[in-house]
Amino acid sequence: MNAKQIHRFVERYLEATGCTILEKSPAHFKVKLSPAADRELTNRPYYWSFVDRTGIEPETMTLLLVTDPAKYDAMNGADSAAAQGGRTEGRTEGGAAGATANAADAPKGDQSGAGDGAPSAQANAAPEQAGMAVLSRAFGLAPMNPGVRTPRDDLYFGSRRLEQIFAAARRGGRFVCLFQQPDERALHPYDSHPCTPWLGVNVKVGFVCDLKREEMHAFGVSLATGTVVEQFFDRLQGLRLTPRLPANVHITGASLSIRKAADLIEQALMRKLRACDYGWAAAANERLKEELAQLAHYYEPLIEAADDERKAEIAAQYEARKEEIRWQLKPRVTAEIVNAGLFHLTGLA
Amino acid sequence: MHPIPRTDRSAAGTGKTPHTSVEFSFDRSWVDELAERAARNGPWDDWTLFQLAVEAERAKLVTSFDELQALRCLPAAFEPMPHQIATARKVLAEMGGRAILADEVGLGKTIEAGLILKEYIVRGLVRRALILVPASLVLQWVRELNQKFGIPAIAQKKAHSWHADFVVASIDTAKREPHRELLLSRDYDMLIVDEAHKLKNKKTSNYQFIQQLRKKYCLLLTATPVQNDMDELYNLITLLKPGQLGGQSEFSANFVADKRLPKNEDRLQEALSAVMIRNRRSDGGIRFTKRFVRNIEVRLSPEEKALYDAVTGFVRQRYDEGGRDLASALSLITLQREVCSSRDAVFLTLFNLFKKTAEDSPLRAKLWELIECIRRVRANSKAEKALELIRGTDGKMIIFTEYRATQEYLLQFLKQHGIIAVPYRGGMNRGKKDWMMDLFRGRARVLVATEAGGEGINLQFCHHVINFDLPWNPMRVEQRIGRVHRLGQTNDVNIYNLYTTGTIEEHILRLLHEKINLFEMVVGELDDILGRLEREDQPLEQRLARLVLEAKGDADIRRGIDALGRSINRLRADAKRPAKPSLDRVLPVFSVVPDGADAAEARP
Repeated sequence: MNAKQIHRFVERYLEATGCTILEKSPAHFKVKLSPAADRELTNRPYYWSFVDRTGIEPETMTLLLVTDPAKYDAMNGADSAAAQGGRTEGRTEGGAAGATANAADAPKGDQSGAGDGAPSAQANAAPEQAGMAVLSRAFGLAPMNPGVRTPRDDLYFGSRRLEQIFAAARRGGRFVCLFQQPDERALHPYDSHPCTPWLGVNVKVGFVCDLKREEMHAFGVSLATGTVVEQFFDRLQGLRLTPRLPANVHITGASLSIRKAADLIEQALMRKLRACDYGWAAAANERLKEELAQLAHYYEPLIEAADDERKAEIAAQYEARKEEIRWQLKPRVTAEIVNAGLFHLTGLA
Repeated sequence: MHPIPRTDRSAAGTGKTPHTSVEFSFDRSWVDELAERAARNGPWDDWTLFQLAVEAERAKLVTSFDELQALRCLPAAFEPMPHQIATARKVLAEMGGRAILADEVGLGKTIEAGLILKEYIVRGLVRRALILVPASLVLQWVRELNQKFGIPAIAQKKAHSWHADFVVASIDTAKREPHRELLLSRDYDMLIVDEAHKLKNKKTSNYQFIQQLRKKYCLLLTATPVQNDMDELYNLITLLKPGQLGGQSEFSANFVADKRLPKNEDRLQEALSAVMIRNRRSDGGIRFTKRFVRNIEVRLSPEEKALYDAVTGFVRQRYDEGGRDLASALSLITLQREVCSSRDAVFLTLFNLFKKTAEDSPLRAKLWELIECIRRVRANSKAEKALELIRGTDGKMIIFTEYRATQEYLLQFLKQHGIIAVPYRGGMNRGKKDWMMDLFRGRARVLVATEAGGEGINLQFCHHVINFDLPWNPMRVEQRIGRVHRLGQTNDVNIYNLYTTGTIEEHILRLLHEKINLFEMVVGELDDILGRLEREDQPLEQRLARLVLEAKGDADIRRGIDALGRSINRLRADAKRPAKPSLDRVLPVFSVVPDGADAAEARP
C-alpha cells in the first residue's frame, strides 16, 4: 500500500465508523474518534468499562493520523516558521487552508459529517492555537498544556497504528448479509426480481514451515444450486448492495444449509490446494529430519553417559529441543477465514 | 511432559490433507457463528468494513517464501543498510531463524535483529517475542523497535508486562523468581539475547536459563563470540543449536588443537557459517561523517578562581581528616567536580552539607566561608563562552552537563539572552521527553541535557555538541557524542569541550583527549579497555578520584595523569594486538562493510 492508498483506506475506515474529521489534507487527518472507533484504537479498556458501568457520556480521543509524514512536515515546517516570526495569522491561515482542502476533498453526500462538522471545529481551533502561540512566545519555553497535545501517528504500511486499523476493520467486518439492488431501468413496476442467496467466504491460506507463503481465495456458493465459484469477492465489486431487502425483490428458497455450503467450500479449496507445488514441504521435512538427527547425535550419547539423576533432566531437555524443531519446521497448510457473508444476488443463480 | 507449542495446539488437524507431506487445518469456527446470525437475522457487520478487511488482508499477503517482506513495512525515514538487509535475508532463507549475529561493534546488530523480528511478524510467524538485554540497554531497544520498526515492544517493569506480546527485559531480572517460572511456562516465537558473549559459560545461571526457555526462532547477538578460548565458542553455538559442532569430546577432537588454538579451520569455519553471521568493517572508505573536536579554554575570573581554590583546599583537608577513606569521600569528589561546572551546582551540595552538619561543629564556619566565596562570584565564564559558541554557529546545539543545578542555570541564562532552550533529563517521563524532543526538533535552538538524559535519544539532526563539563567516566563522554555522531548523521560533527585553565578539568581533558585519544576511538573499543582497566585494579573514575584527593600539587596530578594515560595505552595495545589471532580467524566473515568509523579527526 502506498501513501495514497493508505490515506484512502483510513478515510473510509473513519467514515464507516462515524468518526468526526476535524481537519484533513492529502497528508493527514485530525480526527475525533467515534465511540466505536475509540474502543478499537485507543487501548483504554478500563476507561470504557467505566463508561459502560456508569453510563456517563464518553469523551473520545482526538488523533492526528499522518499518512504522508514528509509532506505533512513540510506543510507544518512552514507553519511553525510563520509562528516563530511572530505572525499568528500564519497559523490561522494554515487552519483555513486545511478547512478548504477539507471541504473540497470531503466525499459528497455522505452522512459522516466530515463536510459540515469540520469547518466549525476549525473555527474554534484557530483562536485557541493563536492564543497558544502568544503564550509560547511570552514564556519562551512553550508551556503548552500537554493535555491539548494530540498524539501523532505516522501511518506507514507496517506501522502499529495502521496495523491496528487493519485489525479493527477485520473485527468490525466479519459477517454481512446484503441484498443486490436490482437495476432500475429494467424494473417493471409490477415485476418482482428473484434473488438467489449465496454464501461468500474469503479464505487466507498459509503454507507454513519456518517460512510462510500465503494465498487469498474468495469462494461463493449458491445456496440454491450448490454451484461454487471463485473470485466471488471481486464479482461483488460492481454491484449495488444494501443491507435492507429492496422493494420488488423476492428471495428464492435455499436448498443448502450454511453448514453444507461450508463443506462445499472446503472441498473446493482442497481441490485447489491439491494442485499446488509441495516442493517446499518436502524440503522442510528433509531439514527437519536432518535437524532431528543432529539433536539425536548430540543428546543420545549424553543421556547414555549421564548418571541417573542427570539422565531425566537431559532427556527432558532433548524432548524440548525436538519439540522446538518440529514447531519451527514442520510443514503445514492452514486455511483461515477472513470473513464471510450472505449475499442475495439477482444476476447469479 | 512438555506441552505442545502454541501454534500446533491451535491448528487442529482434520486428518484430511491436500498432500502427504503436510498437515492441513481448515478453520470452521465461523460456520456456527454465521449460521446463528442468519437464524436470528443479525446482528450484521458493516459492508465497508467487510471490504476494508479483505483489502487489508490482500495488502498484507505474503506472496513469496523468501522475498523480504519487512522492507515495505518500515517508516520512510528509515532505511537499513545493504549488509543489514543481506544478513536478515540469510538468517531467514538459510538459517531458519536461528543465528548468532556477530557483527563487529557499530555495524548495527540491533537493526539486523529488529529487521529479522519484523520480517517474522509481518509473515505472521512471530506473535510473541522475548528480548533479553543488559539493563542499561532496555529502553534503547524498546525505542529502536518502536520507532524504526513499528514493533509495539514494551520494557518489562511490572509483573504483568510479561504478558505483552513483545517484551524487552534485562536478563538478570528475567532469570530470577518469580519471573523465571512464568517465562519458562510460556512459548516464545522468538527469543533475542543481546550481549550474548555473557553466555559462554554453561555452568552459569544465565546460560541454563536461556537453555530452558522454549523458543521457535532465536537470535544471539555478540560482537565478541570468542574472547578467550575455544570452549566459549562451543558453548555459545551449542546453546543455539545443540549438535552443530558435535558433542563436547567430538568438538575437542575435531577442532581444538589447544585451549586457544583451533585446528581443521576450514571445516570449523564451514560449521560456524551455518549458524553465525559476522560482518566486518574494512579499513578506509568513509561512511561515518567526520568528527571535529575543539577544546575551548575558559579563564576563570578572579572570584571564580578564589572559589575553586577554596573548595579544592577544603576537599583535600576533609579527605585527610577523614582518614583518607575513598568510599566516604564521594561527596567531596562531587564538590571538586561541581566547582568546575557552575556555582549553582556547588552551592547546592555545600548547602546540603551545611544542613547535615551539627550546629556546633567547627565545619559550619568553613562551609559558610565557602558559601561566601560563591556569593562573590557574579558571572559564569563558561556559560558566557558557551553563549559565544552558540551565537557563532548556525544550527542546533546540544549542551551536556552533569548537574541539574547547572542545567537550570543554563536554561535561565540562555533565556535571558534570547535563546530558546529546552531541558532534557533522565527523570522526565516518556511523554515529556518526547515533547522536549519535538520542541528541540522544531523551534528550540538549544537542548540542555544532563547525563542521564543522554541515553536513548538519537539526535542526528543536530551536529554541534558542547561538553559543558566532562564526566570522569569516558564511557559517558562517548555516549554523549554517540547520540549525535552515529549512522544516519549526514553532517560533520563538531564537539566543543569547555575546560577551565588551572583546574582539575584541564587535567581530565588532557587525559581523555591527549593521552588516550578518546575522541578518536572506534566505537566499542573504549568499553573493552575500561573493562580491562577495572579488572586490573580499579575503575578509572576511582583512580582519578584518589589521584585528585591525594596529590600534593599540580605537578603531582600531572605525573599521576601521565601514568594513568600510559597504563591505558598499554591496555589498548594489548586489546589491539591480536591476542587470539587464530581464534578470530575461524569466524566466518559474511561481508566487509566499508567504513570510516576510525576516520574521525581531532583538532585540538
